[in-house]
Amino acid sequence: MACPLAQQQGRCGLLGRSARTPVVPVSVHPLVRPCQQSARCLTAPQLAHRQQSQRFVPCASAVTAPELQLEKGGPGSTYGNDAVAKVPVERIRNFSIIAHIDHGKSTLADQLLLKTGTVAARDMVEQFMDSNEIERERGITIKLNTARMKYRSKRDGELYALNLIDTPGHVDFTYEVSRSLAACEGALLVVDASQGVEAQTLANVWLALENDLEVIPVLNKIDLPGADPERVIREIEEIIGLDCSNILKVSAKMGLGIEETLEAIVERVPAPKNTTAEPLRALVFDSYYDPYRGVVCQFKVMDGKVSRGDVIQMMNTGKEYQLDEVGVLAPHKVQVDTLYCGEVGYLAAQIKSVQDARVGDTVTQKKQPAATPLPGYQDIQPMVYCGLFPTDTDDYQDLREALEKLQLNDAALKFEPEVNNAMGFGFRCGFLGLLHMEIVQERLEREYNLDLITTAPTVVYRCKTTDGEEFTVNSPADLPDASRREWIAEPYVRLEMVTPTDYVGNLMELANGRRGEFIEMRYLTDSRTTLVFNIPLAEVVTDYFDQLKSRSKGYASMEYKITGYRENDLVKLEVKINGEPADPLSVICHRDNAYRTGRQLTSKLKELIPRQMFRVPIQACIGTKVVASEAIAPYRKDVLAKCYGGDISRKKKLLQKQAEGKKRMKALGKVEVPQEAFMAILKIDREAKDD
Amino acid sequence: MHRKAFTSPSLCRAAQRAVRTHPLGVNPPPGRRAYATACDSPAARERESLSAPASAAASSTPTAAALQTSAQPASTSGQPADVPAGVRSAYIHLPFCKRKCFYCDFPVEAVGRDTTAPKVEARMRSYVDTVLREMAATRRMDHGPLQTVFFGGGTPSLLPPSLLALLLEALDSRFGLAAGAEVSLEADPGTFDAERLRQYRRLGVTRLSVGVQAFQQELLEACGRGHDLADVEAAVDAVHAAEMPSWSLDLISGLPGLTAEAWRHSLRRAVEAAPDHVSVYDLQVEEGTPFERWQRAGRLRLPPDDAAVEMYGEASELLRAAGYEHYEVSNYARPGHRCAHNQVYWRGQQYYAFGLGAASYLAGRRFSRPARMGQYVSWVGELEAAGGEALPGGHLPPESQEELLLDTLMLRLRTADGLDLAMLRNRFGAQALGTVLRPLAPHERRGTVLALDGQGRACSLAEAGLAAAAAEAVEAPAAPVAAGAGQLAEAGSGAGGGGGGGPRVRLSDPGGFLLSNDIISDVFAAFDVTSAPAPVAEPSGA
Repeated sequence: MACPLAQQQGRCGLLGRSARTPVVPVSVHPLVRPCQQSARCLTAPQLAHRQQSQRFVPCASAVTAPELQLEKGGPGSTYGNDAVAKVPVERIRNFSIIAHIDHGKSTLADQLLLKTGTVAARDMVEQFMDSNEIERERGITIKLNTARMKYRSKRDGELYALNLIDTPGHVDFTYEVSRSLAACEGALLVVDASQGVEAQTLANVWLALENDLEVIPVLNKIDLPGADPERVIREIEEIIGLDCSNILKVSAKMGLGIEETLEAIVERVPAPKNTTAEPLRALVFDSYYDPYRGVVCQFKVMDGKVSRGDVIQMMNTGKEYQLDEVGVLAPHKVQVDTLYCGEVGYLAAQIKSVQDARVGDTVTQKKQPAATPLPGYQDIQPMVYCGLFPTDTDDYQDLREALEKLQLNDAALKFEPEVNNAMGFGFRCGFLGLLHMEIVQERLEREYNLDLITTAPTVVYRCKTTDGEEFTVNSPADLPDASRREWIAEPYVRLEMVTPTDYVGNLMELANGRRGEFIEMRYLTDSRTTLVFNIPLAEVVTDYFDQLKSRSKGYASMEYKITGYRENDLVKLEVKINGEPADPLSVICHRDNAYRTGRQLTSKLKELIPRQMFRVPIQACIGTKVVASEAIAPYRKDVLAKCYGGDISRKKKLLQKQAEGKKRMKALGKVEVPQEAFMAILKIDREAKDD
Repeated sequence: MHRKAFTSPSLCRAAQRAVRTHPLGVNPPPGRRAYATACDSPAARERESLSAPASAAASSTPTAAALQTSAQPASTSGQPADVPAGVRSAYIHLPFCKRKCFYCDFPVEAVGRDTTAPKVEARMRSYVDTVLREMAATRRMDHGPLQTVFFGGGTPSLLPPSLLALLLEALDSRFGLAAGAEVSLEADPGTFDAERLRQYRRLGVTRLSVGVQAFQQELLEACGRGHDLADVEAAVDAVHAAEMPSWSLDLISGLPGLTAEAWRHSLRRAVEAAPDHVSVYDLQVEEGTPFERWQRAGRLRLPPDDAAVEMYGEASELLRAAGYEHYEVSNYARPGHRCAHNQVYWRGQQYYAFGLGAASYLAGRRFSRPARMGQYVSWVGELEAAGGEALPGGHLPPESQEELLLDTLMLRLRTADGLDLAMLRNRFGAQALGTVLRPLAPHERRGTVLALDGQGRACSLAEAGLAAAAAEAVEAPAAPVAAGAGQLAEAGSGAGGGGGGGPRVRLSDPGGFLLSNDIISDVFAAFDVTSAPAPVAEPSGA
């Protein structure tokens, strides 16, 4: 997903920062989105500020004599008060940083920016951003940014342009990661010298290697007392197979080894191929919506060149635009005239929606289009669906507007209206994964101040009916009757868990309990192991990550990749309350688990639904067969028999409060179900899963 | 959508209809008491002068005779009333107690065991003076004498008879005290003997409400009562010795540690004491009480719900078998011994109130006095500034029709007489009638709501509703509507005897009573007026 979340949320900074506070006061020039800080729209104080900041930048002022300048905006040109200097293609280095959470990716990025004078130390302070709460809970990075740095190499005294391209750090956004990596020629693999290789690191390294990137291993936190460089180096060599003979040893916190890292980038990351003469092909690896500019795309020019005023075409969507603006992020926006092959920058062309400028699309010139688009473009399909309903039915329109606004910026978010007997009007929304779902929910609640009820998330099933029709199922309610079904298929993932050997048993048990099929176990080192499973996505989208963390005391990490669909013996487990089907509580599950799930569901509902005037049976059924049932005994006493004398006001207030409460109940048939029941089911069901 | 059915405009229409049907009620010939009807009451005039909602029969008050004979067969009901109406009742709060019970959240002043100490007497004297000042400052609503007076507390029986005499004299001289008025006094065991009761009788007290609460020493201790079991026995003997015309024995159910067996024992002992009336209150753990603190700490072992249900049912069964009528959720009476004062509350009639924290209902305003002594005393000071014409709560708007409707539903449905549907229809309109009946239907099916026709025979809710809807249709507009209104007003008292009255609904005993909150709140929820009382009420004629 094109997810400039950091920018949208008003947070600044280049890369996802861990919850831990760096020792060096680091901060990138704020990349606050609403007022884009291009040279054009900088306010006077901002300009003054920047000029001032540049005095602290030792290597920013000394631009060498113009090199051979063939045309306007070519090598030798400078922009943004010298903040950006154009260099020939062979002196461009595009790289990203791959790291597990807390292994020091942000700190290292900050140090690179400082060392190259891209950002002055005093500006760094501002970047102290809180990590987004979801990030902290989940241990991931969702932000995406690039920074162009100017660096004069000690080796040859030449000026280089280094582009650091950020990658989001969660499985939900694997596609975006792959596109970002496709824009790079190299990557720094940052590994914590005391902790070693983690699952997330592995997955991204594989992606980088698939994209033919030069991977430079970096050992971070070598100053820490717990550092065990030898063991970690062995891990990297054994697991990934990287040559670690010239591994970089760094302490980003202390600023050790930064210079060496920059030199290694210049030396080891290959320059982009010089294909300036060919027709333009530029890879969009991020896009976000800006109310003034329209969609702003970040892209890398793979072939040819692109200038302001050019008419371009999006090769996959076919849309055409005239470019209002091209520029680079250094790390604030600096407009340039032309971007050449190998360069990374942004464009703005009053594009209405991110749907029209999707991540992975290829930009070409309308006049002289490329023959084929760049490979790797995918139309992203949601993998997880859930129902979102406003608590207050009057908020339905507001919810629609909020979703529409989010969609401007989030090509992966899908939604369609849904009506349901208990919850009223709402939307069925599709997401890339649970994290994506949580981000959207959180933004709806925080930024749009909506109070929402969420139904249990379901994955996207495929179903074939007896009359040969095949379709996808986003909601248990859409599933045809068992008699009309030929088969149901569910998405599977390849799940990799990296864990200290002590917890292998626990994690095996976890995965086996979730219908996981063991594929292999590899001892990375004496004390660390990778477990690989094929497992239904449905089992992973619940509380799998939380369980993994709790069963490994927080030490294990996981990563998964969708591998395809598989037919399974799946059933629709329907919940009936007082004989009436309760659609929002229905789930699709494997027949083997139906009994247990049904029992948990009914017993939880028994706790959550208040006693009624009459006995309320709660049943979980497959078709007409009841697999679990409970009953809520009727309550028999609800009376206020206190002597209040002539003061009837308290009695009346009590009854009025009770009446208000009754109005807020959602009626499932004749039974009033409190809204909490719908929400609590989600949580409790997950908790109870492995009891 | 039916929730929206009851809105202000519809109320206006209801009020207009009431105006059309009861022209006398709106424009009474002033001072013609010979033609006085329920609508031609001083209260109606009061209402008019305040341009309050045309509450039509709202304040049509039963006759004094009806008050006195309320539990009797309704021989007097249906008579056009040539009788005083308006405010005929007064509540006086006497907050002094030896000690505060662990469950009590009423405004109470603990004075210690030595209740005759000069210091204590001085405090009581000073308090009585303040109440006397309040009486003198309160506007007289009309000139008819009071028919019921209730001294509640606290422990009113701690008050020396000399001070009680001052209060009764003041009531009589300012508001008038009818001969044969019911004058009730709450009395706790351990605070009186037969001689004291005779003194009270001579002052005009006709009814005693004895706070026995339990017949188990350990339960009395557990709830912090200021008396023991021996005091209870002595108290019962004293009441009999003093030959009180009517007395009530009060019990509390649901006390922590109460068992089914102990409860049965209490009920038997209560019946043996042969009171004319029994109140059975259910323990409510109220905020700020020691019980609430202990409950939060998990130290209060209340009987489980199912046990409480059994206890309630047992009380109802046992007391009814002993000849007591279960005439309200928590009250039982022998024929002729219903508490007239309480019925004033339950019928939505108006009443004066005096003293700390006391709640009055005057000119359509429900008003609670400050519950802290200092604030109460200064409030009385402010009241005096109005020169004897103060209307307590006069700054409040009069109750809206919506409020009146909710009050009516809540209060009537808790009584055995139930809710008179024809009255409901006439006062609040056919739509309101429909809105009330709909949520009651499921309860009828469960047997917790019963319907009765005009003759007191069981019928279905639908039949009762139809009869109520038709009731007005039979009445030609030219008919003496006032008489009809009188009938409506009286119907409430008639059902106890089983004859007469309009079609009505009531909660069953004990099943319906036990679920009264649930049923009444269902009815509330059916109207769109459930939010806490709005401070502003619009005059319905506007």
